[in-house]
Amino acid sequence: MVELVFIVPLVAGALAFFMLGRSGRPLLVLTGAVHLALSVYLWVRRPEALLPGYFGVTPEGLLSLIVISLLFFLISIYTQTYLARSEVKSENIFTGSMLLFLSTMTMVTLSDHIMVMWIAIEATTLASAPLIYTHRTGASLEATWKYVLICSVGIALALLGSVLITVAMDVGGVTSALSFSSLTEEAKRLDPTWLKVGFVFILVGYGTKMGLAPMHTWLPDAHSEAPSPASALLSGVLLNCAYLGIFKTHKIMVAAGLGGFSGMILIVFGLMSILAAATFILKQTEYKRLLAYSSIENMGIIAFGTGVGGLGAYGAVLCLIHHSLIKSSLFLTSGNLLLGYGGRLISDTGNLIKEMPRTFVAFFAGFAGISGIPPFGIFIGELFIILGAFRAGHYVAVGLFLLSLCVIFGGFAHHAMKISFEESPKAVEMKESITLVWPQYGLLLTSLILCFWIPDTLYQTIIQAVTTIGGGF
Amino acid sequence: MNQPADAILSLVLLSILFSFGSSRLPSLIKAVAFQGIVVSLVPLFVGHELTAGGVIFTQVTLLIRGILIPLCIYMAIKKVRIRREVEPIVGYHASMLAGLALIVAAIAFSRKFDLPGIGQYALLLPTAIALLVAGMFLLMARRNAIAMVLGYITMENGIYLVGATFSVRAQHIVEFGILLDVLAGVMIMAVILQNIKQTLDDVDTALLRTLKE
Repeated sequence: MVELVFIVPLVAGALAFFMLGRSGRPLLVLTGAVHLALSVYLWVRRPEALLPGYFGVTPEGLLSLIVISLLFFLISIYTQTYLARSEVKSENIFTGSMLLFLSTMTMVTLSDHIMVMWIAIEATTLASAPLIYTHRTGASLEATWKYVLICSVGIALALLGSVLITVAMDVGGVTSALSFSSLTEEAKRLDPTWLKVGFVFILVGYGTKMGLAPMHTWLPDAHSEAPSPASALLSGVLLNCAYLGIFKTHKIMVAAGLGGFSGMILIVFGLMSILAAATFILKQTEYKRLLAYSSIENMGIIAFGTGVGGLGAYGAVLCLIHHSLIKSSLFLTSGNLLLGYGGRLISDTGNLIKEMPRTFVAFFAGFAGISGIPPFGIFIGELFIILGAFRAGHYVAVGLFLLSLCVIFGGFAHHAMKISFEESPKAVEMKESITLVWPQYGLLLTSLILCFWIPDTLYQTIIQAVTTIGGGF
Repeated sequence: MNQPADAILSLVLLSILFSFGSSRLPSLIKAVAFQGIVVSLVPLFVGHELTAGGVIFTQVTLLIRGILIPLCIYMAIKKVRIRREVEPIVGYHASMLAGLALIVAAIAFSRKFDLPGIGQYALLLPTAIALLVAGMFLLMARRNAIAMVLGYITMENGIYLVGATFSVRAQHIVEFGILLDVLAGVMIMAVILQNIKQTLDDVDTALLRTLKE
C-alpha cells in the first residue's frame, strides 16, 4: 500500500511520455489528485510497507510527503494554464518528467533503507534534468549541465558516505539491516570514527542537492532556467527531499551520541549558506534568481536550526513546511510575471499593483511570508531557532544569523518594492485567469492557517520527528 | 604486503599520474579506461570471499567502466568534432607534481586508519583516497567538458574501490548503486554534451560563462 504512492505517478509518468500534444495535461492533475488522496490515507492510517526495511512511514517522511502532495496538486492546476500561455516544446517530455519527478521524490520520503534513499535522490536528478532544459536555449543547457555535473558529484560523495556507514557497521560488529530505523536502534554500537566520516560525506553529498553553500552554485541557474512550475517543485520539494537524507543521518548520529559533532557541522554549513545568500541577494538582477537565493537562505536556516537542536529543531521543521508552501507560491507567481512582462530581469517589471492586481496580492503576501514578517510561519520558525540557539549558547552564531537575515530582508524588500510599485517599462496585457492565481492563494492560505492553528495530528507528527534529533520544547 | 593486490593497485596509481599528464583527450580516455579495468580487478584479489554473483558483478563493472563508457566517449569525440586539447587550468607539469604529492599525502594520511580484514593491503586505502581526490582535481583543473566527465569517472572508480573492498556488506549495494549512477549519469552527460556541442559549437565550458553568480 505504501509503495503505491510512488508507483502511481511512476506509471502515469511513463504513460505521459507517449501522450502527444496537450493530452498529457489532464493526467497531471488527475495524478496529483490521486497522489494527494493516497498521501492523506497514509497520514491517517500509517500502514506497514510491503517491503519493510526498504520502505516505511516515518513522521519526518510523512511531513515531507504531505507537503509534496499538496504542492504538486496545486502546481499541476497552475501548469494547465501556464502551458497554454507559454511556448513549451515537446510537452510530453515536460509532463512525463514532472510526474517521474513526483514519483522519485515520493520515494525519497518513504524510503527507510540507506541505499533506497540514495537511489531515489539520484533518480530525482535524472527526472528533473529534462525539466530544466525545457526551454532548449543555450542558457538552459548550461544550467542543466551545471546541475547534472555538480549534483552527480554530490550524489557520488553521498554514496561514499553510505558505504562508509556500512564500514562503521562492520568495524562495530553490527549485523542489522542497512535501514535508517534499525541503524538508529543500533547506533551506539557503530564505530564512531567511520560514522563521523560517513556523516560528513553524506552531508556534503546531499547538502549539494539541498543547496547548502558552498555547493549551492547550481541552484540559482537551475531555478531560474526551469519553467516556473518546475522551479516551484525544485525549490519547494526537491530541497526538502535532500534535507530528509541529512535529517535521517543526523538522527543516527544523535542516537549514537554524536549529535554535538553533526550538529556543529550543520550549524557551520547553515551559517555559510545564509551568509552566501546575504552576499549575493543584494545585487541580483533577475527575480527568479532572487527567489533562488532566498531558497539557499532558507535551507541554511533549516540546517542551522537542525544543528542547534531543542527548540531550534522544532523551528527548523516549521520553516521547512512554510518555506515549501510560500516559496513554491512565489515561483508560480514569478511565472505570471514572466508571462506578463515577457522578461526575466527585475528592470523589466514594475507597478505590479496596477498591472496585475491579483498577482500582486500573491507576490506581496509571499514576499511578506518568506521574509519572516510576523505573524507568518517563517517568523515563528526563525524565532524558535533563535531562542533555541540562545539556549544552547551559540551567541556568535546567532549574531551572524540575525545580521544576515537583516541584510537579506533589506535586499529582498528593495527588489520587491521595485517590482510592486515603481514605474513599469511597459503596459501588461495579460488576463489573470483564476487558475493562474488561485493555486498561489491556496498555498499562502494554507501557510497562513498553519500559523494560527496547527491541527493536533500535525503537531504530534512534528514533535515525533524532532524528538529523534533531540528537538522539542 | 600482499603481492598481487598491491601490484594492481600500484598500476592504478600510475594511471592517475598518466591521466594528469595527458594533454589530449584520446590519451586521457585510455588512461581512464585502463584505470577502470584495473580497479574492477582489485576485488578479485582482496581478502573477502566472493560469491559467484560478486564475480559476475566485477566482470560487468569491468565491461562497463573499462570498455563500454570509454568506447562511447571515444566514438563521441570522433563523431562530433570536439576539441582534443583538454585545456588545463593547472599545467601538465604542475599537475604531475600535484599527483605525486597527492599519492604521498594519501599514503601518509591512510596510516591513521585501521581497517579490520584488509589491513595487510598497504596500498588499498591510499589508492582509494588518491582516486577520489584525483577525480575532483580533473573536474576542477580541466576546462574541457569530456575531461570533466572522465574526472568524474575517476572519482567513481575511487568509490567503487572503497565499496567493493572495505566492507563485505557494501559489495552488492555499491555495485548496484554505482552501475545505475555511472550508466545514467554518463548517458545523460553524453546527451548534454552533444547538445552543448550543437548549441555552443564547442565543449569548452569556459564559454559557458553567460550566467554569473
